[in-house]
Amino acid sequence: MTEKEQQHIFEQWLSQHKALVFKVVRAYAFTAMDQDDLFQEISIQVWRSVTAFRQESSVTTWLYRIALNTAIKWVRKERKHQQDGNLEEVEHVLQENKMPVDERLVWLYEEISRLDEIDRSVTLLMLDNFSYKEMADILGITESNVGVKINRIKKHLISKSKKYS
Amino acid sequence: MEFDDMKKIWDTQNNEPLYAVNETALHHRILSKKRKGFHITNISEWLSVLVYGGTACFIFGVNFYKQSGNVWMYFLAAWMLGSALYTLVSRIRRIRGERQFDRTMNGDLAHAISVAAYQVRLSFLMRWNILPMGLLTVLSVLDNGKSVWVAVGVLVFFVISYYAGGWEHNIYKNRKRELEVLQNKLESC
Repeated sequence: MTEKEQQHIFEQWLSQHKALVFKVVRAYAFTAMDQDDLFQEISIQVWRSVTAFRQESSVTTWLYRIALNTAIKWVRKERKHQQDGNLEEVEHVLQENKMPVDERLVWLYEEISRLDEIDRSVTLLMLDNFSYKEMADILGITESNVGVKINRIKKHLISKSKKYS
Repeated sequence: MEFDDMKKIWDTQNNEPLYAVNETALHHRILSKKRKGFHITNISEWLSVLVYGGTACFIFGVNFYKQSGNVWMYFLAAWMLGSALYTLVSRIRRIRGERQFDRTMNGDLAHAISVAAYQVRLSFLMRWNILPMGLLTVLSVLDNGKSVWVAVGVLVFFVISYYAGGWEHNIYKNRKRELEVLQNKLESC
């Protein structure tokens, strides 16, 4: 595959599935600076993964896998290292859309952010309607393990959402 | 709120993305990262191979040229050459082993743990490797008829290197432990 083809596929994936990447970014990074950094990191990993994609799964599943893996690693790295360099010189990649946001969506992201890194991944996949099998494939664990995690997370979210009932 | 309601709220993001992307800036970042793409393991491996191999050749060459007959220097050169070869073989085996990991989250973590374990093992061996090298260097210094104080100075240098090696080794050990904790979290319910 030539670099031009790689670039074309990368741009296509990113334009079609940017909502997926934004969800992962917002669930794992909480300041504008961090969201920018994580988005770049995910984009770089997606770029690198283009040549490794064998069409054994859908592009969505593949991208979720890359994005979640990258986000979890990024979280662990960020806990140790503070951002280096002059922040004013940084050219921002992500620009927040100025539109009214549903208060319940903000609440949902807050609740997701309180979960540990693994449960956050499971929640995102569950909210995006992935099957147990797809989740098990992405996470590399058994379907029954996925089922247990989902039940626990669902109960937790429903109990926390009582103020909206 | 029921879970289905949460899903409906969640799905609104598919129509109205939360962010816009500055594609030029993104492309600059990717190219910049690509240029900086060398991994720390690669660098430390090549550094070990070059330093050990280069020093071994230098010691052997000087000793052979001077016909000094200091047998400890030959032992030291052979030991360092062996260390360089060991690092090179370990590197080849590590790269071959990388193909066995799948691209699931668990597979990715297993891969990261395997690289961390490799770094722990290599730093452990390289740390203990300082002891025979220090001993052979001190013996060759004494064999050359240098004063005991020079030998003591050399010994102090190797002791400091040994302790610095321990510090590096602990960094790799902690990194590996953190990854194992994460893997346990993934596999536990």
